[in-house]
Amino acid sequence: MSSPPELEAWEVFRQEKAGDPMRHGGSVMAPDAELASHYARELYGRRQESVRLWVVRRTDIVDVADPDLLQPPLDRSFKKPGGYPMRDKLAAAREISGQAKPKARSK
Amino acid sequence: MSVVSAPTVALGELLRSMADDEFVIGFSDSEWTGIAPLLEEDVAMSSLAQDELGHASALYGLLGEPTGTDPDALAYDREPEAYRHCRLLDHGRGDWAMTIARRYLYDSADAVRLAALAGGSWAPLAELVGKLVREERYHLMHVGAWLDRLARNDGEARARLLAALGELGGDAATVFTPLPNEPALIGAGILAAPMTVLEGRWRESIGPVFAELDLPMPPPASDPARGRLDHGDTFHLLWGAFTSVRYSEPGVTW
Repeated sequence: MSSPPELEAWEVFRQEKAGDPMRHGGSVMAPDAELASHYARELYGRRQESVRLWVVRRTDIVDVADPDLLQPPLDRSFKKPGGYPMRDKLAAAREISGQAKPKARSK
Repeated sequence: MSVVSAPTVALGELLRSMADDEFVIGFSDSEWTGIAPLLEEDVAMSSLAQDELGHASALYGLLGEPTGTDPDALAYDREPEAYRHCRLLDHGRGDWAMTIARRYLYDSADAVRLAALAGGSWAPLAELVGKLVREERYHLMHVGAWLDRLARNDGEARARLLAALGELGGDAATVFTPLPNEPALIGAGILAAPMTVLEGRWRESIGPVFAELDLPMPPPASDPARGRLDHGDTFHLLWGAFTSVRYSEPGVTW
């Protein structure tokens, strides 16, 4: 007699509309890719909230969480643009030129 | 929606049989909510069951429109003898293998029936069928995935599946019970072919799957004349359950 298949975790990414990035939605437990895709559809796609799903076996994901790689110990704040505040200078320049602040651009 | 001409008696029988099929399997499968084999499957089977109740509601809507009858009244306010679902669905949900066997036989037959109604001459039904087909496609994918897994298991799962198919036996093909006045539906261009022809198409469609999985093909209906009549005790219990809330306070507005 064969034993019941092991359940494993699958990560589900969903795209809300064409052109949007794939965003992590959550995970499902399933014994294989076919049922994982069905369960992903049930939990993250049956109310027309997604136009595409990616279903990825969790163990296939390359996990990078090494602090030596991601959290360098030395001060690197000079690499960040925060040292160059532009907001006040731009506001002053607009004041002089009489131009209104441009609206936020959509992608 | 276009102006609906009064459906003929034959059309009413067709709609009632389809709506009752969807209603009964939907209610029966909803009994798995909370107790399915795994959480994700609980959601999936409950979702399938809800879909069927939605299909039943839409079909009862078409059935009741000419007389202004509320779909809820059609679903709940009839005596058990007035329901015209097929006897396949008089078998209760049983164990998981029975639920999968019953649903696979029903969904595969329903797919053939819907294909014979798509593009029919009565626009309200043809339009609805176009929508139902898209949801039913997933139902068949999902229940087919389970049939495959149960059949390929060489232990208890396969034994239970074989037992379920054996129990359904002579009722498996009752989805294709010829309807009263069926020639009128075909003459009017509503139904593309007689139920006996559709049964042949169904057997062709499931034949390769059953052969691949080494499962016995369903036998012919053991009592074709009663294929949608004389529902037994299992349905009477189900009827008692699905009418209990409705009858607890008759006529109340929810």
